Amino acid sequence: MSEKEDETSGLYKVGDPPHIHIGFDKNQLMLKTFLLMSIIAYASVMVMGIQALFHILIALGTVLIVHGTMDSYQKWRGIKPTYDSPASPLVAGMIVGLCMPIAAPYLVTAVVAFLTMFVFKYMQGKYFDHKYLNPAATSKSVLFLALAGVFRFVDSEIAARVYHPHHQELDLLSAEGFEGAMWIFRGETVPLLGAEVSATQGLFFWQTHGWIGGASGVVVLIVGIVAAYWLRYKWRIILSTLGTMTILAVGTGLYLGGDPLLRVAFHVFTGSVIFMAFFMATEPQSTPMPENSQYIFGISLAILTFVLQIYNVVGGSLYALVIMNMATPLLDMIVIKSPYGHRESKGGG
Amino acid sequence: MLEEKEHVHHFKENGGFEVDIRMKLESIDDPFTEVPPSDEMTVFLNQHIGPEGDPLVKKGDEVEYGEKIVDFGGKGKMCVPVHSPVNGEVKGYASVRHPLSGGKERAIIIETEDEEKEPCYEPLDPKEASRKELLERVKEAGIVGLGGAAFPTHVKLGEENISHLIINAKESDPNLASDVRLMMEKPQWLIEGIKLMGHILDVEDITFATRTEEGETPEFEELLRDNDVRIKRVRPNYSVGSERLLVKEVLGKEVPSGEFPPQIGTIVHNVATAYATAKAIKEGESLVSRGMTFYSKKTGGKNLWTRMGTSIEHILEYVGVSQVEFERIALGSIMMGPTIPDPSYPVLKATSGLTVFTPEESDPYEEEKPCIRCGYCNTVCPVDIYPQMIMKAEEKNDIKRLQSLNVLDCINCALCSYVCPSNIRLTPYLERAQNKIRKEKG
Repeated sequence: MSEKEDETSGLYKVGDPPHIHIGFDKNQLMLKTFLLMSIIAYASVMVMGIQALFHILIALGTVLIVHGTMDSYQKWRGIKPTYDSPASPLVAGMIVGLCMPIAAPYLVTAVVAFLTMFVFKYMQGKYFDHKYLNPAATSKSVLFLALAGVFRFVDSEIAARVYHPHHQELDLLSAEGFEGAMWIFRGETVPLLGAEVSATQGLFFWQTHGWIGGASGVVVLIVGIVAAYWLRYKWRIILSTLGTMTILAVGTGLYLGGDPLLRVAFHVFTGSVIFMAFFMATEPQSTPMPENSQYIFGISLAILTFVLQIYNVVGGSLYALVIMNMATPLLDMIVIKSPYGHRESKGGG
Repeated sequence: MLEEKEHVHHFKENGGFEVDIRMKLESIDDPFTEVPPSDEMTVFLNQHIGPEGDPLVKKGDEVEYGEKIVDFGGKGKMCVPVHSPVNGEVKGYASVRHPLSGGKERAIIIETEDEEKEPCYEPLDPKEASRKELLERVKEAGIVGLGGAAFPTHVKLGEENISHLIINAKESDPNLASDVRLMMEKPQWLIEGIKLMGHILDVEDITFATRTEEGETPEFEELLRDNDVRIKRVRPNYSVGSERLLVKEVLGKEVPSGEFPPQIGTIVHNVATAYATAKAIKEGESLVSRGMTFYSKKTGGKNLWTRMGTSIEHILEYVGVSQVEFERIALGSIMMGPTIPDPSYPVLKATSGLTVFTPEESDPYEEEKPCIRCGYCNTVCPVDIYPQMIMKAEEKNDIKRLQSLNVLDCINCALCSYVCPSNIRLTPYLERAQNKIRKEKG
């Protein structure tokens, strides 16, 4: 018997399966997220005015400058660029713009955008195997904590405009205190309709205070649902966060007093909750993978947010999010669902 | 006929994904044509799951079409014989890289003398033959599962205490249409095969699981109804045709982890295997040819009847394309099959398809990006495991973690890679992880 050696010419490229791909990549995911958030941005500018637009443009401009600089630097040093398109930086910039309080100085927005892009996107990505902390939430939390410290010792207008010292005096635990605190959301007149909104209506549709991204809670809700379905966000986090917040709001209303509907409007539809739940708490890298862990993440996030909110901690939802981000590696380790073949004994079912 | 559907983002949690089936759609209407054998046929000694048999021929021997050239010897029930696909002369043995195992394996080189086809075995009358004789014929004819796994058919048909037979005509793979062509072109033979399988297994409860819609194969469906074979239309999602998932889809039961369908009294056979079984028993045909779907953008889809051992370059020539036009060639399922580096590779019993890609259709996974932990992979995973977390544990060589992540339950369907927005090919990580655990277990 003769032996013939294999004569492999290597004419073709070889590779593992599969050999086709869905054709939808993360740049498209980011771009579509950006486009959807642009609808929220448009609504916010309509409600809050040109100031909101400036915040958004400053945030976007800052992240693009950082991205452009880093991209040029990486190319100059012969390093593979971290981002092969500006889509992800644009999303980060938009989130920063929309999560800033309308009253914040533009300088603060620019600093948050810079920290988000440079420290918590580029550097976090470089020095860790993935981003453990939500970039925008962490940079805003860090800065707010710093400003809170400054406000304690120095009479700073910038710190005050971010820190809102009058919040410390609110009493959200009693019915009277809560109803009284809601004055700020009522009395706005909606252009074209000419109607003056109640506090509940204001919180749902037409907020001129607080986060830019929460100017119209209903718009965020609709756009967020579309985004979560279309782009397959981690919807369990959204559902459990908003669901728990609603339950806590209604429960507090019934137990401590205050119109439950107004409680829901305040605790769920302020930008720091509804925008955060859809577009920040679902940031994929810093949130759990297992489905049940996502529920735990969302419920815990809501409880923490609610407690911090009701005790008047400015930026409480972001602190809560950063804390939950830190718990994510632990949540990834537990509550793995049973795969096929483990769910039923002896094939029953 | 199937209509082309918008294919992007049809995520179905807990049960697969509607993949792009344009290749299938372009192939369904093309009838089978028979590819003449190549001048030189390369027949691997091992073309199935199980050990390699013992060769029966030597250089210079004359062999006939369908003649047994590799015997199962005394190597256990998983061994399957191999037959000559042509009348010709044995030119010798070659050590050739096997398309499936990747390692060098022995193959018999046969020089083709003519294209005549005369079955080697006498037909059997199923009414007269005993179960043992029928099983022996299936084994002797070298029948293996033609859905892609190439599991010895006689082993499955030899199972006892089976209450349910599922005929798998799901053909989930987006590039294949040869099963549905069989249903259109050979309905009578398929029915014969299904009835024979039921007879051998002594099973009356038979389900024909298909993704075809009402009216797509009317003649065949009428025969199924006339013979009391239940038709189960399975949702068109990819990977539902996998044996384990199909059992769940049809019977609502899960095959326990680490076990096989007979554990729950069920056997699953591919529809093309039923055809081969009928031909082996009623005509004495050994398994030396099969239907497969060829696809290139230039030619569209073509259904070919090809003999095992035919070189890929011969097939390319037959369909009228040049071998230098392409950058990649995938064998079998485009989702699960291997690629070959060279067009001299032959068709095997498991080769259900051949898909060729030009340089313009470059490998979509070449530009891999960092993982963003979006969770798409575990969302689409039909067996509910976590490919991304397995990838990370595999990179760290964390065996304990891999075990806790149930990686051995992966069915290697590759959906996780298909949907990954970072274009990460997760499949090799999963395979490596499975191998590490198996090695750990000894």
